Amino acid sequence: AKMSAPTMEERKACWGARDEFWQCLDRHADDASKCEKLRRSFESRCPQQWVKYFDKRRDFLKYKKKLETEGYHPSEAAGKS
Amino acid sequence: RRRAELRALALGQGDFQLRDQEGRPRRKADFRGQWVLLYFGFTHCPDVCPEELGKLSHAVELLEREPGLPPLQPLFITVDPERDDAAAMGRYLRDFHPRLLGLTGTPEEVRAAGRAYRVYASAGPRDEDGDYIVDHTILIYLLGPDGLFLDCYGRSKSAQDIARSVRRHMDTY
Repeated sequence: AKMSAPTMEERKACWGARDEFWQCLDRHADDASKCEKLRRSFESRCPQQWVKYFDKRRDFLKYKKKLETEGYHPSEAAGKS
Repeated sequence: RRRAELRALALGQGDFQLRDQEGRPRRKADFRGQWVLLYFGFTHCPDVCPEELGKLSHAVELLEREPGLPPLQPLFITVDPERDDAAAMGRYLRDFHPRLLGLTGTPEEVRAAGRAYRVYASAGPRDEDGDYIVDHTILIYLLGPDGLFLDCYGRSKSAQDIARSVRRHMDTY
């Protein structure tokens, strides 16, 4: 059976949980162990595929910020998995 | 000059045969004579599609408030025909502009429509629930009354930017 797409309410609940988790990570220099409860809340409110997608998005946004503030170091980029 | 370049690309010349969220058949020719603001996306989209459709809806609303402008038809075409049937489209579109029309069809029909606009779409791997994300071109297309592509707007353009640009195209058409 086809799963229904999340409704607007469900999307907003997911985004809210994601934002709370990310704000916690921001406050704790990305130490995920300090944000376990919010991580679980985020995972429960978002489809699994969206959790993966937002995790990648955060990695990308952090990398982008790093490039903007620190500049591009080719040796570092080559080492990034 | 950019406009001449865009017209030279002559995107969107092909016909498409799709169905709207009520199951009614809709061909590209049905939209001739109308200005259209078109977005390709899918209902299982995590964030981009709701944001872009919200922006598209708001741009249409801004232009509706201006007297003397021709009507602008908001249009959404799916890149995920396997899941986005008429019922799914109907549920999804309720949250956006009341005149927003959603089109779907068979995978072949949907692919043909996407090709006409050079829309890239690629479904990602499925998880154990069968859920997947479709990577796709993120653009809002403006079509003129002759059905040809006049302009396109990326993520960085606001609803106000789009409304301003559409108004300029309408004035100079």
